[in-house]
Amino acid sequence: MSEVNKTTLYERHLSLGAKMVDFAGWQMPLHYKTGTVQEHLATRKHAGLFDISHMGRFAFSGERAVPFLQHVLSNNAAALDVEESQYTIIPNSSGGAIDDAYLYRFYEDEYLLVVNAANRQKDWNHFQQIRKDFKQLDIIDRSDELVMLSLQGPLSRKFLTGVVDSGLLPEPIRNQLSTVTINGVGVLVGRTGYTGEPLCFELFINSKDALMIWDLLIDAGATPIGLGARDTLRLEAAMPLFGCELGLDAEGNEIPVFAEPLAKYAVSFSGLKGDFVGKNALSRQFKALEKITDRDYSLIKDLPRRIMPVALMGKGIARPGNKVFVGDKLAGYITSGTMIPYWETEGEGLSTRFLDEHAMRAIGLALLDSDLCEADTVEIEVRGRKIPAVIVPYHLRSEAPPCARAILEQDLFKDISAPTAEKVTTKKVRRLLDKAIQNHTWRQRECINLIPSEQTPSAMTRMLSVLDPVGRYAEHKPMKAFLEMEVFFYQGTDFILEVEELLKDELLRYLGCCEVETRLISGQMANTAVFSALVDYLNRADRKAEQRRIRRVMNNHIIKGGHLSAQPMGALRDFVARDPKTEKPAVVNFPVVGDNPYKIDTAATQDVLARYRPELIILGKSVTLHPEPVAQLRSFVRQLDLNSVIMYDMAHVLGLLGSYFQQPFEEGADIVTGSTHKTFFGTQRGIVAANYSREDLRYQLWEAVNRRAFPGSVSNHHLGTLLGLLMAAYEMNYFKDEYQKNVIDNAKAFAMALHDCGLDVAGDKEVSFTETHQVIVNVGYSKGPEIARRLEENNIIVNYQAAPQEEGFTASGALRMGVAEMTRFAMKKEDFKTLAQLIYDVIAERTVKEKVMSLRGRFVDMKYCFTKKDFAHIIEKLHKLI
Amino acid sequence: MIPGEARYLESHEWVILGPDTGAATIGLSEFAVEQLGDIVFLELPAEGDEVQKGRAFGTIESVKAASDLYSPLSGQVIGVNQQLLDEPELFKSDPYGAAWMLKVKPADEKEFETLLDARQYQQYLKEL
Repeated sequence: MSEVNKTTLYERHLSLGAKMVDFAGWQMPLHYKTGTVQEHLATRKHAGLFDISHMGRFAFSGERAVPFLQHVLSNNAAALDVEESQYTIIPNSSGGAIDDAYLYRFYEDEYLLVVNAANRQKDWNHFQQIRKDFKQLDIIDRSDELVMLSLQGPLSRKFLTGVVDSGLLPEPIRNQLSTVTINGVGVLVGRTGYTGEPLCFELFINSKDALMIWDLLIDAGATPIGLGARDTLRLEAAMPLFGCELGLDAEGNEIPVFAEPLAKYAVSFSGLKGDFVGKNALSRQFKALEKITDRDYSLIKDLPRRIMPVALMGKGIARPGNKVFVGDKLAGYITSGTMIPYWETEGEGLSTRFLDEHAMRAIGLALLDSDLCEADTVEIEVRGRKIPAVIVPYHLRSEAPPCARAILEQDLFKDISAPTAEKVTTKKVRRLLDKAIQNHTWRQRECINLIPSEQTPSAMTRMLSVLDPVGRYAEHKPMKAFLEMEVFFYQGTDFILEVEELLKDELLRYLGCCEVETRLISGQMANTAVFSALVDYLNRADRKAEQRRIRRVMNNHIIKGGHLSAQPMGALRDFVARDPKTEKPAVVNFPVVGDNPYKIDTAATQDVLARYRPELIILGKSVTLHPEPVAQLRSFVRQLDLNSVIMYDMAHVLGLLGSYFQQPFEEGADIVTGSTHKTFFGTQRGIVAANYSREDLRYQLWEAVNRRAFPGSVSNHHLGTLLGLLMAAYEMNYFKDEYQKNVIDNAKAFAMALHDCGLDVAGDKEVSFTETHQVIVNVGYSKGPEIARRLEENNIIVNYQAAPQEEGFTASGALRMGVAEMTRFAMKKEDFKTLAQLIYDVIAERTVKEKVMSLRGRFVDMKYCFTKKDFAHIIEKLHKLI
Repeated sequence: MIPGEARYLESHEWVILGPDTGAATIGLSEFAVEQLGDIVFLELPAEGDEVQKGRAFGTIESVKAASDLYSPLSGQVIGVNQQLLDEPELFKSDPYGAAWMLKVKPADEKEFETLLDARQYQQYLKEL
């Protein structure tokens, strides 16, 4: 590669006014007409398009492809499913990097490795050297036939969607892949990139089609970006560049791979890898890193320096090779550094908006002594002058799509200001009381509340919740020595015993099962108790060894509406095993119907069940439009002879349980969990119910649930709200027929009315978009938070919701609404039609606050509860007592 | 457009005598500004400092790299463009005007004659 290479797009770069440079033997655009700073800014605010065809692309196939990749790469290639990708290192035997790379698996039987342009030949030679030991392996250099473009930035998804004729973009999770058709030609798409942008795509295109697709994306509005901004963008994202953060350091010594923070994700010691190049050296570095993380420097010689982001506090710019000092001691070197731009912003938090002005900041990455920590100050020697700088945790954050957000050093280490001590206590007290009254009046009399996870408990329920058992303890457990009699640990608790027995009776009647545990104080805690109980149950034969976790769980993915508490990031985390192959939590998700991501695809579920044989199946969602297919699952579990526990988290729909919605135990659920305050009438608590009889082997699981409730989860189980919940259960059993029917009728009428206003209502129109209390409206990508805020300003309370194709809650394009609470306040179908129009008006930027207040004013008296007139005397007494 | 009255160094600094008598103004040529790309930082001497012909007096930094600035004349610094330090973008919009860097009281005005004139500088650029 001694001659100068030109990419397929060379002429186009010239016609776009690029200043071309020689880079690793390639003529590449350094920047276009507006220059590096503007290109950096355009990528962060709009979208940038990069020609990265100079990088090397090697395809691996054949029977020995995976064993070969496991041997020459640091990551676990076997963890990749089809349409997934991973960052990886090509290590040498001493634990340094020959290169860093990205491994893509677009097809079942082919892996595509993207390597740095400068290392292309070196990597190729390295692979050829090692492949001799691997027969049945094909390595093809596809660099020339496949052009690679990168489209990055908040508008990238919009621009790409605009040119795609068919096929779906990858799932909105980093490293996911898919294949689409653009203008009749196939394009491979990965959600990957080198900018830190949360919306990021890299495209692989047959070289003859590349110019056409480049032009389409530029016409759509993407800004062409040269290597200059590619470097400043990756620096801001603290991503390593081979030759700076990987390879050799300023003194000519090899940088250990684990010096780079991303190595944690790029190096795997999975048993599936066997012995791979550099394993011993990397393993030593990793052990040192574990110690260093605990600020134990006994193994620091194995990892003497690490890459850390630094921000300059004085005037000047740090450049690669600059020495870094702590006092007079040389502490390392700058590996990358320059002055980069960032958008000035206005507003705070979710309302933060980019202005049209930008500012500049000098930042860098440095290879520094491993005993230095975040917030430590250092001095960087620049042309004989020492500039103060601080070690920062990051320069940029990507977790709030659609934008990457610059984080400035001066905002990171602000002094925590002392609380403004209001001296006069009576003033504080009065202010608190005033504010509480104000809030109560606003939420109860002036606002329309459509949060589907909320409910107002009745006046009686609320009053009972503050009566005496509040503040008491009533720990108890059944003892076999006393034939399962509940033994209480405190005196004065007879009343609680009676309340708990009555509550159990009431709930068992409602649920249609034989066991219920009522001591959990939230739905999330109820789920945790079940997961913990299942682990206990699975290990019941072995009380000596480390307890094993649940081998495989099947649930609804959070982006398809699954409960947070049923995810590994939520309550499931400490109870689900790691899949040894993927090195991720062993969770498999329900497949969903193609044109309705809110509905489980039952036919496809059977195959997934057969393949993964989960020990626990968790149904239920927090974005829920349909009954869950409990009966079908029970029949699949039976047919496949699985030992799965079928659990249904009914948090949202507990108050709908019955003939209008669904009856989980009749349909075959083993366990139902739920919070008691969404569609149910209660105080804020959780319950677990099950249908195991005492003769059933699984009754031991139920006993474990009781133990994981007490003493596993609670000591005092909030006796005030327990008392309130009993009243709520009376109300529910008495009023449920009318209430449940009206909730579902109202939701359907509301959804149809929103649709008739011209809004995009999610779901199946055949069933009037919903079969629950919820209605989902799509309001436009990432507009959810802003519209939800405007609705609040107009006294309509909803929550914004990321739709299944969106990257995260900050990019939400939907509103999630529920009709349960307002149905309880007697709103009827006609009233929800009026409300639909008001919501439409707010979205169309009209102010309707007065109209909303007057609508709410008509619905302040609660229905479906026992009213004052029958109990006036005793209510009076309660008021006096409180 | 290269101003005819200015003289140049091969390192692309320009100098004119004036506008005040006994003073010279030093800047950076449009060609150099274009080559540097986005200029993001500038380090200049302070008023009262001495500069020497052909010796570095400061640093100009683009996103990509830092370059030294060389003085076309010897003398004492009598003015520093503070606005330019805050807004290095001025180099792009007005390299021969608002983007002047230093005003210097020349020690020896004859040094001016030894520099490249506009025609010579243009010829030099063609050969680069």
